[in-house]
Amino acid sequence: MDFYQGRVLRIDLSKGTSAVEPLNMEWAGKYVGGKGLLLRYLWEEVPPNVDPWAPENPLVIMTGPFAGTNVATASRVLVGCKSPITGILTDSYSGGSFAPEMKFAGYDAFIITGQAKEPVVVTVKDDVVAFLSATGKYSGLMTSEIEAALRADFDANAKVLSIGPAGEREIPWACVATDQYHKAGRGGHGALMGRKGLKAIAVRGTGRVTVGDAKAFLADMYRMQGENVLIPDNLAQYEEGTPVLAQIMSDAGIIPTRNWSTGTFDGIGTINSESFLKIRTGNRACTQCAIACRQFHEAGGVVGEGPEYETIALCGANCGMDDIEALMKFNHACDELGLDTISSGSVVGLAMDLTEKGVKDFGLHFGEAEAYLQAPELIAKREGIGAELALGSRGLAAKYGRSELAMEVKNLELPGYDARGAFGMSLSYATSDRGGCHMRAWPVGDEIITGTLAPDSLEGKAAYVISGQDYQAMKFTGIWCDFWAAGLDQMALLMRHVWKREVSEEELRLVGERVWNLGRLFNLREGVEADTVPLKFYAEEYAHTEGPPAGKAIGAEALNSAIKEYYMLRGWDAQGVPTEAKLAELSIDVRL
Amino acid sequence: MPHVMINRKKCTGCHMCELACSAFHEGGFQPSRARLFAAVNPTTAAIKGHTCLQTGCAKCQEACPNDAIVARRITVTPKGSFASKEKIGDSSDGYVLVVDESKCNNCGDCYDVCPTEVIFEHPSRRVAFKCDLCDGDPQCIAFCQNEYVLAVDLKVDKADKARAEA
Repeated sequence: MDFYQGRVLRIDLSKGTSAVEPLNMEWAGKYVGGKGLLLRYLWEEVPPNVDPWAPENPLVIMTGPFAGTNVATASRVLVGCKSPITGILTDSYSGGSFAPEMKFAGYDAFIITGQAKEPVVVTVKDDVVAFLSATGKYSGLMTSEIEAALRADFDANAKVLSIGPAGEREIPWACVATDQYHKAGRGGHGALMGRKGLKAIAVRGTGRVTVGDAKAFLADMYRMQGENVLIPDNLAQYEEGTPVLAQIMSDAGIIPTRNWSTGTFDGIGTINSESFLKIRTGNRACTQCAIACRQFHEAGGVVGEGPEYETIALCGANCGMDDIEALMKFNHACDELGLDTISSGSVVGLAMDLTEKGVKDFGLHFGEAEAYLQAPELIAKREGIGAELALGSRGLAAKYGRSELAMEVKNLELPGYDARGAFGMSLSYATSDRGGCHMRAWPVGDEIITGTLAPDSLEGKAAYVISGQDYQAMKFTGIWCDFWAAGLDQMALLMRHVWKREVSEEELRLVGERVWNLGRLFNLREGVEADTVPLKFYAEEYAHTEGPPAGKAIGAEALNSAIKEYYMLRGWDAQGVPTEAKLAELSIDVRL
Repeated sequence: MPHVMINRKKCTGCHMCELACSAFHEGGFQPSRARLFAAVNPTTAAIKGHTCLQTGCAKCQEACPNDAIVARRITVTPKGSFASKEKIGDSSDGYVLVVDESKCNNCGDCYDVCPTEVIFEHPSRRVAFKCDLCDGDPQCIAFCQNEYVLAVDLKVDKADKARAEA
């Protein structure tokens, strides 16, 4: 079969066994791969209303049809489950080399069920699957260390998906790491992996991915490389990458600063793109992507990839931290421990706020590096203040009766865009299918960067957010990266090779809408909180007093009516439940 | 004589060259059967390129007891850009070393002497396989087109150690 390997590896950690089963090609036809196929499998594999920490909640590792080919950026791997933080779906993506290696080993997906009695590492070399004990020397290793150990012990060319000490201790926002610097960051997959007793999966594949006429495919990809991929829009990611957003968002007054108390960071000049360019050492790429956006920096004895904008925003500005060395070290510590940086920066910023407001003294202060740099390790080990910080933003703020200070949606900490200066983001966050996330729809792009939409209005934003969500849902089936600004037209040119027929843009938009609606059904089945955002984002009394958003507030009424409009335009009822007519129109094959 | 090189200082480790190489020769994407590779240490991000130096090296040809590695005339005209294009021009004539599969008995002598580790036993055909510059259109160069990178380069050696022409 071309593009797909047609095989799923099912790993039962309770029994220590594995089995190969055919990929459901009917589902692959409807939902393509990546996010779509993940959600269809989760619908089937997650027992309705299961406790997300229970052994029955599966962890699914999914690829897209283009992983292992030379379709740019499509090497991304998807880790998904019912989130132990939010209780709803979570799909988290990572670049690197893991997904192509899975395909070369002969698999489109891994479905990991059960719970090991004692921690294990699973190795997969083509058809050979083995379970190694992770109670001895692998226990407690940092993400770079477990990768190096498995390359030494199992296969020099192994690609590794692992958790660090934070995952082993089930920190709610522990992430899954691969190729050391890549993280499937958001939603607590690393915590679930830790609960399952799975320290790492190492894969080595020597097989092939077929695409039909390989030479004709190469010729088409050569053409697309020149016309669509290696063009200035995308090469900007090589040149400066996401750090370029730091100055832009601070100037626009929407970079979270000192626990979201303002949107303009006075220290931005030392942690903006200009400052990072001065300490840049070079670029690296994910497998099958010549854009090579992975920027390496060196400061304070730390050499490593990143930080990306979200880390600069949450671990920098939001902690009042303008010291680039400290920021590099904090990012490096989170990478090694296996902690998501958005949630880490958010929680540490909250603890600083609680300290400075005199609510509870965590010894953490805005802009002070010493205690800040100890925080990641304390959190990962649940030691000292880390034991309380590991509650996460919602839990920590609630414990001290200051819930209004926690900036999260559905218990997932918010990324680096303050909706008070980009109103569309409030709707994007409120309706995101995995909680506080910027990757489903990004009104900031037009509200702030191109300036083609008014940042202080919700008019027309419901339709804008829907279109963004459907587009991203399609993109995440590929699995293409956000750093290839590929339109549906370009995706259609590629899907033509998979489906061996002409493919229209509208057809792919419909796939995106189908995937989004399936996600909504899953979330409704599992019990999703009301679609809203923190009070700070919309209430008049929390309006900013400085910068472009000064004095502006969304207001509860405008937010609620935008959400109602969103439901209506989606073809959902007033409670946000997709109607039968919509499900039939989208040929969705499951029902609540 | 023309051959391909990977500039380790410019290479970003995207493996596009290996993917394209394998698709061109093997009918599918299979880097384990690529005729060149960039070894990337994920922890340090250090990279080492492995490519065939063709007739400028010719150690495989010297080692072959069966005269199965032969020099073949070739004109190399890469698609797209490459770092040495200004110096070399659009195209370059010379010889490339190829495996005469009717003579190769898979003895492995060449595998042992290759200084860049890019001549291998083909797992299904059971003969040696190596870089042949894709009949003059090296796919590794065609798919290394990030203008800031251009790590896969065409080089032309003056020295030509191989003599036998098929």
